[in-house]
Amino acid sequence: MKPSCILILFLIGWQTDTYQEQRNSMVASQLENRNIRDESTLQAMRKVPRHRFVPKEQQRYAYEDRPLPIGYGQTISQPYMVAFMTEVIKPQKDFKVLEIGTGSGYQAAVLAEIVDKVYTVEIVPELANQAEKRFEDLGYSNVKTIDSDGYFGWEEFAPFDAIVVTAAAEFIPPPLISQLKEGGKMVIPVGSPFLVQTLILVEKKKGKTTTKSLFPVRFVPFTRGN
Amino acid sequence: MQILSIVQWYHFAYMVISIALLGFGVAGTVISLFRRALLKNFDHLLPSLMMATGFFMATVVSFSQPSGVRFDSYLLFVDYSQAGRLLFTYLVLLLPFLSAALAIGMTFVRYADRIGKLYFANLLGSGLGGLLAVGLSWIIVPQKLPVFIALLPMIAALWVLPRPFPINWLAAFVLNLGLIVIFIIRPFSFNLSQFKDLSKTLNLPDVEIIHEQSSPFGYIQVVSSPLLRHAPGLSLTYPQTVPVRKVIFKNGDWYGTVAPLFPPGDTTVYDYTTRVLPYIIKARKKALVLNSGSGEDISLARSKATARIVAVEPNSAVISLLKDELSKETMGLLAAPELVMHQEDPRTFLLKDTEKYDLISIPTIGAFGGSVGLNAISEQYLLTKDAFREMWKKLLPEGVISVNCWMDYPVRNPLKILATMIEVLTESGVEHPEQYIGAVRSWGTLTMIVKKTPILQQEANLIRSFCDRMLFDPVLLPDIKRHEREQYNMLQDNDFFQYVDELFSDQRETLYKNYDFNIKPPTDDQPYFSQFIRGKSLSHLSQLFGNNAMAFFEVGYLMVIITLIQVTLVSLLLIIAPLFHLGWHGGKRWSVLLYFGGIGIGFMFVEIVLIQRFILYLGSPIYTVAVLMCALMIFSGLGSYFTSRLELKQIRVFTIFLAIIGLLLVYSFSLTPILQQTIGLTGFLKILIMTLIIAPLAFLMGLPFPLEIKCLGQENPRLVPWAWAINGCASVISAALATVIAVEMGFKWVTILAAVAYGLPLITTITAKK
Repeated sequence: MKPSCILILFLIGWQTDTYQEQRNSMVASQLENRNIRDESTLQAMRKVPRHRFVPKEQQRYAYEDRPLPIGYGQTISQPYMVAFMTEVIKPQKDFKVLEIGTGSGYQAAVLAEIVDKVYTVEIVPELANQAEKRFEDLGYSNVKTIDSDGYFGWEEFAPFDAIVVTAAAEFIPPPLISQLKEGGKMVIPVGSPFLVQTLILVEKKKGKTTTKSLFPVRFVPFTRGN
Repeated sequence: MQILSIVQWYHFAYMVISIALLGFGVAGTVISLFRRALLKNFDHLLPSLMMATGFFMATVVSFSQPSGVRFDSYLLFVDYSQAGRLLFTYLVLLLPFLSAALAIGMTFVRYADRIGKLYFANLLGSGLGGLLAVGLSWIIVPQKLPVFIALLPMIAALWVLPRPFPINWLAAFVLNLGLIVIFIIRPFSFNLSQFKDLSKTLNLPDVEIIHEQSSPFGYIQVVSSPLLRHAPGLSLTYPQTVPVRKVIFKNGDWYGTVAPLFPPGDTTVYDYTTRVLPYIIKARKKALVLNSGSGEDISLARSKATARIVAVEPNSAVISLLKDELSKETMGLLAAPELVMHQEDPRTFLLKDTEKYDLISIPTIGAFGGSVGLNAISEQYLLTKDAFREMWKKLLPEGVISVNCWMDYPVRNPLKILATMIEVLTESGVEHPEQYIGAVRSWGTLTMIVKKTPILQQEANLIRSFCDRMLFDPVLLPDIKRHEREQYNMLQDNDFFQYVDELFSDQRETLYKNYDFNIKPPTDDQPYFSQFIRGKSLSHLSQLFGNNAMAFFEVGYLMVIITLIQVTLVSLLLIIAPLFHLGWHGGKRWSVLLYFGGIGIGFMFVEIVLIQRFILYLGSPIYTVAVLMCALMIFSGLGSYFTSRLELKQIRVFTIFLAIIGLLLVYSFSLTPILQQTIGLTGFLKILIMTLIIAPLAFLMGLPFPLEIKCLGQENPRLVPWAWAINGCASVISAALATVIAVEMGFKWVTILAAVAYGLPLITTITAKK
């Protein structure tokens, strides 16, 4: 083997270790410290390479405690938000989960580490295509993506054990409620797309639908940078 | 300022322009330091500065727009590199003010003996300029407006060019004019902050701006997209597809969705929201819709077959948009015999109107999760105790006031509006306000009704049944039980219900005192409903929500404080700097500082107080400011002109200040009854009355500046530019200071302090006499 190849392999290995270290540190400082306790969620957050879900120029910030721009006016959520939204639906191995707002695909990948099937809907075709390719590259064969209006959910595969909505809305879309299984949970941020939103948990129990306001989500503006 | 409000945000526009206005202070300081050299080259500098003013007016905004230098106000709290960009923006926007102020200041210094006439011309131009800008904004888009106005200093430059025109001057003039014409033909394009509502909306697929309109009420844009659905706080039981609506934006901010007409009796999306509450207990015959905006409450009232609807909306641009360009989308919502539309400020309407109604509704208060202080320094006269008192008087026996607001956390808007209602009821002689107020809550909204007579058991049952159908929770009913309040929609904690109950108890004042946010009901004297922040709670909130929390709660008011600190510090530098050149002692320095500082602060305070008093009287903030400023400037200008005939006698100055203070005192007692007695007159007569009221005070306020400049010009001409710098800086500081005083203590204190400010020069004249 040529010395240059050895060097490249060494650098790749070193970089991989560095990212793994950053992930471990992210989980310890940003998630465990803030009371994320679900082991399957923590494990998924340790495993999914978040830096692969952000544009190249943002990779050095990938594990920082903030959202980052991914283009088309969209962001990849702050790691804590992804972990919280995953934990709050109490994901089980045999779950079928619908995600609205694929974005970079990171939330879907985290869910895919835990549950059986993830269906994800993205309105921006370019983002949907990019995310689909990422899932393929990273081997997430249990994620199905569609470029469509998230308001209508994904009727074809309904009902779902849980629904995770990552895009803020000023109402809870009725089709999503009807596609939620009895006993299912939906987590959705409602409010102004920027500034302050409230994270709401919707539950269907014994034929009764209830909501619980979880906490205000203070949107941290990201740097447009590039 | 409008352009900055469009691309950024109103409070940052306010801050940036406040700093830029310090160009007047900078000019005074520059002239103080380089007086001799500047005056030596006066004949060349004056036309150059006028041309530079035209050039900068036409181009500065575009200079601050390229992505490499453009700052984004929303990023300031997380990306500290934005501070450098903000500084650049300050400096760039300072340029037109600085060049214009240098030209004016140099003229004042050179012709100090003719200051009366010069200051008259300056004030007259300022007054007419305000009117011209309002008029032009109807026909010229905001990008082109400063470029058109840039032609005015160019005309002035032509006037003062050396004669006969030397070829190099002429070439420079033509080149500059050519550049301005290019900017008129091809104006710069807006680069909206990515965080503006409009930017976010424009990211949606198949989005289209279908209409744009310039107006003094703001730059109106209408956007359509197949994904723009609107149903705030919708019930989880809604069985249909949420309708797609076109959205109106004002200055890049969400203004409202275009509401269509529904056939009376049809089930609509409104029936699945809390705002339908007043119609649940009774069909309404006469509804008054205040600030009808894009027509949501009119649409609701018409869908409920309300026999007579009176709608009041101050924004004439939006009314004509809904009636004409969007008539297809509204399906003739505003064209119905049962609807009477008034283009007027709703408070002015309430003061004039003599009808009674069985429903009075106001627009939704707050925003999802909180408004982050976006309206913190906006005077909201429709949400004061005085406003609700007027509404209460206009209710028929079975009538209700309906208020819809977003739930926020920590809870602010619902508590403040409830506190306001309770106090209005209590002060109106209602012993048990809890019998008169009903409220229901969805997962995100709260609708409250205040009934003229106690809510009956049967009505309470109708409300309960509505809540069960819609999965809403009753919050307030005469016989409400604790467990009813959270059957379907659980909150983060139970604090909200505890505070609600405290507001009805004798613990109300204690809650006002101890709560982290200001929830004390606003009054016309302190009309800042959305100002919630309290200095003493900052550290506690910071502990609870993190250090950056303030930026997301109440950044609007913080911006005013930051602006005040910035302008005060820079002003101190600008006032002190010339003393290194002029010397620190002798020559009436303290007198000059007190005199020109006092009249600078006093003039601005009076201006702000008068605007506040006359807005409700004339009924349109934009036109009130334009007309009032015009009258104030013209009569001050006449006062200034009059000084050219006065002899310099101290007794006159002394008398003038006494007269100003005396008039301020008289106005503070007599203005309200005069305005209340005449509010029903026609607009023309009201403008006439306003002008008559303002004229004597404005005339007197126009005297002190030129009188003392003339005096200084003879005794110590080196101090004239310093006096100009002090006056400019004091005006800028007092604009921000008046807002802080009004928020913290009320406008009556601004009036009192205006009198105190005019007392400062009085002290100097007394001292001088001795």
